[in-house]
Amino acid sequence: MRCSSFAGMCKTTGENKMTRQEVTDKLRALMRKTSQKQVDWDSVAEQTEIASLGFDSLSILDLIYDIQSAFELEFEAEEVAGVRTVGDMVTFLAGKLGSASGQG
Amino acid sequence: MRDRRKVVVTGLGVVSPVGLDESTLWQNMIGGRHGIRLLSLLNAEEFKSKSVAEIDQTLLAAALAARQMRPADRAGDLATLAAAQALEAAGLAGGQEPVAKRVAVVIGTGGGVSESVEDAYRRYWEGGLKGIRPTTIVRVINNSISGNISIKYRLTGPNFVITSACASASNAIGMAMRMVRDGYEDKVLCGGTDSLFSRSLFGAWDKIGAMSKNPDPNRASRPFDTDRDGFVMGEGAAMIVVESEESAKARGVRIRGEICGYGESSDADHFTRPSSAGQAAAIRAALDDAGVRPDEVGFVNAHGTATEANDECECQSIRDALGNAADDVLVASNKSFFGHAMGASGALESVVTLLGLENGIVPPNLNLDHPDPKCTLRFVPGTATAIVPPVAIKNSFAFGGTNAVLVFRRYVQDHGGK
Repeated sequence: MRCSSFAGMCKTTGENKMTRQEVTDKLRALMRKTSQKQVDWDSVAEQTEIASLGFDSLSILDLIYDIQSAFELEFEAEEVAGVRTVGDMVTFLAGKLGSASGQG
Repeated sequence: MRDRRKVVVTGLGVVSPVGLDESTLWQNMIGGRHGIRLLSLLNAEEFKSKSVAEIDQTLLAAALAARQMRPADRAGDLATLAAAQALEAAGLAGGQEPVAKRVAVVIGTGGGVSESVEDAYRRYWEGGLKGIRPTTIVRVINNSISGNISIKYRLTGPNFVITSACASASNAIGMAMRMVRDGYEDKVLCGGTDSLFSRSLFGAWDKIGAMSKNPDPNRASRPFDTDRDGFVMGEGAAMIVVESEESAKARGVRIRGEICGYGESSDADHFTRPSSAGQAAAIRAALDDAGVRPDEVGFVNAHGTATEANDECECQSIRDALGNAADDVLVASNKSFFGHAMGASGALESVVTLLGLENGIVPPNLNLDHPDPKCTLRFVPGTATAIVPPVAIKNSFAFGGTNAVLVFRRYVQDHGGK
């Protein structure tokens, strides 16, 4: 399901595995692209609340859509209902990706 | 029965190929500088019509960035930018975080959020049901244009869009004027927006045969001229804050003009071929609504698309409606500057009409080198021209047979009780 068809999608991982840092960086880039808010993205950390980055109940759906397409993952929006912080999302994605990054 | 209240204009906003603010637009128009260029938003090679009035991408990007807006939908973005200008000019926005205030939002648009619609279908055709974005609905409903403005500026009056092709904005302004005149609202933000430069829609217009194929941008848009060969596609948005005179005076804001009449009709005949009977009926209704005699009208800001069908028919309609007074009235079409901004045209041209009355001068008719002998009216020449009488009308006629005519009057400060 992942790292299959899109050329370049997994280039950085070599062995089809992303480090936690790589997942975080990629997520931050997606948020930056989608957010309607002026944010100091360099200061965004794992404990940053996603809601504080300009995502509301509607725009979070677009972020999830972008995440699914960029990470080539499929999951239901309900599965991330409990996600509050950037770190929560990274942990969730790492779990889905089955990479070693989940352990941090 | 509510008493009729005087309706005045307290804010103007424009985003157009001729200027992205009122002052630039006016200086360019009085100086005879139009906004038509070779198509660059799409691959011009693909289309028969290559002269268009498109907004400069660099200027638009800068205008959006200056308001911390990310490009979303082009027609929606243009509307929000023009709304911001108009609201700020009327003292209803700007500065701090917006606070909730009772202002209605009525916006005309022909194509609506067509860029978003094309994008949504592309995602669907390419990705199937999985390709559909979760926020597709809020992006593709046309009232996202008015809804987003209402939310951004916290305007708590009703908000909706009106769609009637090229008459959309004039219908919106007319409806807004009635809402204020009849006492339902004190302030309405109204106007129009359109941008049809998506490949599919411009391609569709390219096939209907109404657009000019003249490849010279300086000569392509020539309303009422013998050598005209169709309209030049334009885009843009213009917004007007209309307000009761009482409210404007109480707030102490600058009054820019008066909207004193609105008339409408349908041809009920053919979808694209205009009818002078229908058009003249709308002009008569507007003058009657304003309580203005034909000989009081000093300027007609025509629909003037530069299609064979429109221009001849419109000249006949003006003659039929104004009678002998048609010999004296000055007539111009702003479409030699803007091209045809579709559902936004009525708003852009209403702004020009208001500025013309306020300044006592109207922009030229560009490219009117040899007036069509069937169009025997007194046209504004190729240079800006003074207008003395205080009353002007704005015609908008649309596919679907919809006709909308607005009547404007110069506002004299300390006008008294008249």
